[in-house]
Amino acid sequence: MAEPKDLEGLAAEYVLGTLDRGEREDVEQAIPADSELAGLVAGWERRLIPLALALEPVTAPPHLRDKVMAAISGSAAAPDNVIAIERRANRWRGAAVASWALAAALAGVILFRPPEVLEGSRYVAVLQSEGPGPAFIASVDLASGTISVRPVSATTPSGKSYELWALGAGRDKPQSLGVIAANFRIPTETLGKVDSAALGDTLFAVSLEPEGGSPTGQPTGPVMFTGKLVATE
Amino acid sequence: MSTFLQPIEHELGPLLARIAGGDRPAFGRLYDLTSNRLFAVVRRVLRRPELAEEALQEAFVRVWQKANLYDPAQARPMAWLAAIARNQAIDLRRRSSERIGEELDENSAGGDGQSAVLPEADLALELKRLRDCLSRLPENRQDMVLLAYYQGWSREELAAQFSRPVTTVKTLLRRSLITLRECLDGRT
Repeated sequence: MAEPKDLEGLAAEYVLGTLDRGEREDVEQAIPADSELAGLVAGWERRLIPLALALEPVTAPPHLRDKVMAAISGSAAAPDNVIAIERRANRWRGAAVASWALAAALAGVILFRPPEVLEGSRYVAVLQSEGPGPAFIASVDLASGTISVRPVSATTPSGKSYELWALGAGRDKPQSLGVIAANFRIPTETLGKVDSAALGDTLFAVSLEPEGGSPTGQPTGPVMFTGKLVATE
Repeated sequence: MSTFLQPIEHELGPLLARIAGGDRPAFGRLYDLTSNRLFAVVRRVLRRPELAEEALQEAFVRVWQKANLYDPAQARPMAWLAAIARNQAIDLRRRSSERIGEELDENSAGGDGQSAVLPEADLALELKRLRDCLSRLPENRQDMVLLAYYQGWSREELAAQFSRPVTTVKTLLRRSLITLRECLDGRT
């Protein structure tokens, strides 16, 4: 088989762990957009993983748990510039959404999907600043009637709060959706009348406010992130 | 030991779904259930304790960020988690200066698979099959595959250890993997 085209060999060696740093990074960056490579890697993970699962468990140092829990609360998480959003049910479309999200994140704003795909019940917005910085994922689940906003790698400066706003789609001024806390959820009623088309036009924004939220009911601090929704299911 | 593994696996899928929704207690529970098995994986790749701990932490942060991407049709939860942990560990190993020189003392590729728990039934079957297929490779190629998989050795490190050119190691690895695939996928 021709050396440069040996995608299978590359995937196998990636999973085996023998690629050098640059090659590994190439593979990791290519996977979200290359479904063939992703499939080959998944196949090799499946073939070889029994070896890893057969290892005798080793208790991790007890202090590590606190560090991990602190890391996911945002205080120590490494900035993650690239956030892939993927449809679970539909791989190729997932890849398309991921590249949309990536391209849009680089532009600073998430574009919305064309209205006809806003038929599903789950939508997602990546709220991300330009460059390496904190990010949030906002997802809307119409079935359960909730919006949840999850900090991916956001650190709140002390004495400040992040507040989520909805703009556009018939609103004449920004509507506060509340202050973002851990595992932050908002009932969709808060958004007012929710129909799919309007949801696709809604722009979400996060501003930095005094602790506890804006005292005026309107954004007073800098707008850190903006994003629109994309359908995920 | 096999009796406690099975229920864990059943609990992990629902936990991952909750974690995808930002559920921190669910994440804590996942950590408690799986950290010892994932630590076993990363500690093989990174002998220095502080690096192994860093890799485990990175792996769990990644799980937190990527739980929404978990697809039960693609992998069982523990397999998905272990793959993340391994990849974090290997990436960190490549980024760090860790090299074989400092760990040759306790390396014995052949011994690696033997310190295994008694796994759940279907895993045991898969593992047996994989071991059978591995055992058909010439012995030094088995060692190469196991050193790479368990300890994250690069081609360069394998080349040094086995006194072969790097290009030869690459060829041997790819041939071994194809042989392995054919054996595992039933074309023996």
